[in-house]
Amino acid sequence: MRLARFLGYRLLLAIPVVLGIVVLNFFLIHLAPGDAASVLAGESGAASPEYMEQLRHKFGLDRPLATQFGVYLLNMLHLDLGYSFRNDSPVGSLIVDRLWPTGLLMLTAFAAALLIGTLLGLVAATGRNSWRDAVISLVSLVAYATPGFWLGLMMIVVFAIRLGWLPTSGYDTVGADNEGWDEVWDVGRHLVMPAVALALFYLAVYARVMRASVLEQIGMDYVTTARAKGQTEARVMVGHVLRNALLPVVTMAGVQAGNLIGGSIVVETVFGWPGVGTLAFNALQSRDLNLLLGIFFVSACLVVVINLAVDLVYVCLDPRMEL
Amino acid sequence: MARVLRNAGTLQESSGLSRTFDATDLSRRTILALPLGLAAAASGARAAEPKRGGTMVMIVHPEPSTLAHYAVSAGNIPPIATQVYEGLCTYDWDQNPQPNLAKSWEVAPDGKTITFKLQEGVTFHNGKPFTSADVQYSFMEILKKYNPIAPVMLAELVAVDTPDPMTAVLRLANPAPYIMKALSGRDLPILCRSVFEGTDVLQNPSANKPIGTGPFKFASWERGQFVRLDRNETYWKPGLPYLNRIVARFIPDAATRSAAMEAGEAHFAGYSAVNYADLARMKTNPILDLTTKGYEMTPAQSVLELNGRHPHLQKKEVRQAIAYAIDRKVILKDVMFGYGQPATGPLSRKFKTAGLYTDDVRQYDVPDRLDIANRLLDEAGAPRGADGTRFALHLEVNSFGEQWLRQAEYLKQALAGVGIAVTLRSEDTATWLRRVYTNYDYDLNEPFLSQGVDPVYGLNKQFLTSQIRKGVTFVNDTFYSNPEVDRMLGEGAREPDAEKRAALYKKVQQVLAEDSPMIWLIDVQYVSVFNRRLKDHTTGPLGTQQAFERAWMDK
Repeated sequence: MRLARFLGYRLLLAIPVVLGIVVLNFFLIHLAPGDAASVLAGESGAASPEYMEQLRHKFGLDRPLATQFGVYLLNMLHLDLGYSFRNDSPVGSLIVDRLWPTGLLMLTAFAAALLIGTLLGLVAATGRNSWRDAVISLVSLVAYATPGFWLGLMMIVVFAIRLGWLPTSGYDTVGADNEGWDEVWDVGRHLVMPAVALALFYLAVYARVMRASVLEQIGMDYVTTARAKGQTEARVMVGHVLRNALLPVVTMAGVQAGNLIGGSIVVETVFGWPGVGTLAFNALQSRDLNLLLGIFFVSACLVVVINLAVDLVYVCLDPRMEL
Repeated sequence: MARVLRNAGTLQESSGLSRTFDATDLSRRTILALPLGLAAAASGARAAEPKRGGTMVMIVHPEPSTLAHYAVSAGNIPPIATQVYEGLCTYDWDQNPQPNLAKSWEVAPDGKTITFKLQEGVTFHNGKPFTSADVQYSFMEILKKYNPIAPVMLAELVAVDTPDPMTAVLRLANPAPYIMKALSGRDLPILCRSVFEGTDVLQNPSANKPIGTGPFKFASWERGQFVRLDRNETYWKPGLPYLNRIVARFIPDAATRSAAMEAGEAHFAGYSAVNYADLARMKTNPILDLTTKGYEMTPAQSVLELNGRHPHLQKKEVRQAIAYAIDRKVILKDVMFGYGQPATGPLSRKFKTAGLYTDDVRQYDVPDRLDIANRLLDEAGAPRGADGTRFALHLEVNSFGEQWLRQAEYLKQALAGVGIAVTLRSEDTATWLRRVYTNYDYDLNEPFLSQGVDPVYGLNKQFLTSQIRKGVTFVNDTFYSNPEVDRMLGEGAREPDAEKRAALYKKVQQVLAEDSPMIWLIDVQYVSVFNRRLKDHTTGPLGTQQAFERAWMDK
């Protein structure tokens, strides 16, 4: 019951937040010079003024900004994200098509980074100043400092061109029309390199945060107490230190999860992964405002949801916290 | 050390302009052929017999925003759209029209009517038969109204008559000889009337699910990934096409596009989808080869535009001095990696085949060009100041790719050499287009200009006084206005006699080169990279922008 009330309250609070984001985005975007019609005409080489007027009329760009805003707001209230004239397609379906690949890539990378990162951090902290610590610190420093696109390209050269183990790019093998487990295997093979390229950076961050956090907790009185009770070292670590040490990592992960929906433009570009990041980038470049606003809206909603989830995870980890 | 030197030597060789048959090539081929046995070697010696089946993966870059080829003429649409939409004609290597959806045609002596006899037994992918009504509807209701090139190419078209289902007659207000160059599926595609009739053309669902008569049918479009085209089993040309399927893949990153070719995942990358910088490496790959063929009817130039309202740039001497100051060979070598040729004037050399190009114009690439440039600038009343600078200009960097930044950096250097200080300004596409073509707030601009199939397209939009049109992209933004050029371009468009026409355009090129309203830098050459297993992919001057109906995959 308390949970339901908490959730209801938070979702109620989210409404003005999302609405504010929508309004702010709309006007911010209209500050950018140039419009969709001129970009489209520019790509066509040349166009007559009549043609461009035709485009502007079709896109609704010839109406006053206030009217455009009214129409937009009304559509949003119906949860209608509008129509992308550039792509000749409804915004909703454009985004939904990309959500699955983006989610798959980001969640895989994120889960791997979180799991391996915290584990490495824990191992490094428990063996402080040992060779394990040194190796893990070095690896995470290198991973942290390596640009994702460079790593991606190097992996393509080694694993796709030289060794031929993995496909260079894409979501699945085009034209292969795989079904069932074949398709899962195929997508998995395509997923490996982008997920690694993306995960490595986050992995480094979590490893370092975890290491620092564990070291801090180990010095606490309650750890001494637990040891004094005669608990095994493993029990001390898992039962006491780990749960407390995870809190800063969860906070960090919560902040970074906001990037999930936006995807990583760089990794998506390098691996030709059909994600939301490149969709947003192209929409911005071509002043496809309906599409861009739609993406902003979806990611704002997702951030709200993720923040909520992070708060719930806190409660699970630390019983002292209350809803 | 010796090895390093030898490698450097090979690199240099392979980046040469013309592709020659060399010993390394031979040995590589021999080594590859050996394990395959004698049969393979023997079949290689004969004229190869096309094999049916297989999927060809081509790289198209960037991903088109729409496949509404009839209303948007962006260059990345035709490689896909021309597999589906056909035109009345195709073109042979001499750029003469050849029968396609039109079996034959006749141009009236006065040049004002063109009568097309249409191919019988052709059906659209939705099963509807192709008739003259489709030709009429395509030209009058769609192309003339919505195609961006129509205001020039179809300006003279008054009506299309349909005396019978297999005859279509184009009626023109004045002779328009250039129409005969624009009848391919790339420029003036034929659409199915019943798909469009009674609908809003610009919102028609076939914008992204094209329905045509071509050898391949549209199957699906996974946004951000690929377009799939499947063999048209009822194609009207017997036995064609050979391929079962074409997949057009979209890979945003240039290095990954190259990698997909090297890994053999993709078989064809036309229209310079592979960066010029990577071509030398592609050439050394045993499974790949390159060709510059198939772009004979795709002339384009990179140019430096000068704002004719700028107090210095409105002087002819200053414009000429800038033309002298730039070494086009440096741009060719360092920006275009040797592909293309230094431009001599307002028309690309690709118009040589049509007999319309001339290099008998004022020459700017002369040994003492820098002295001439400095003298002209002195005479124009722009002497060097105490710091050696005469005046300062802004250059708007073309936002369509990294190579244009490289070009801009060279231009800055070159102009500094004659005392003109240039500041580069990089903005995103929408901002750049707005600044240059709507606000006219620029000094120097380095666009890339397609010249269409006939000079009437490229020259008219750049140099006619009537084409100074605020807010319209890639038209006359240099404010060039010369009544003599206006007159000659008007006559040139209507002149049916080939020789008289050539003389008119020769004169136009001479006057323009002398006036130098813009600096013509490079006659651009696109390059196709292909997998050696893919055969007969480039069968005419439209190359990538015509159907791969004869292409086939060797096993």
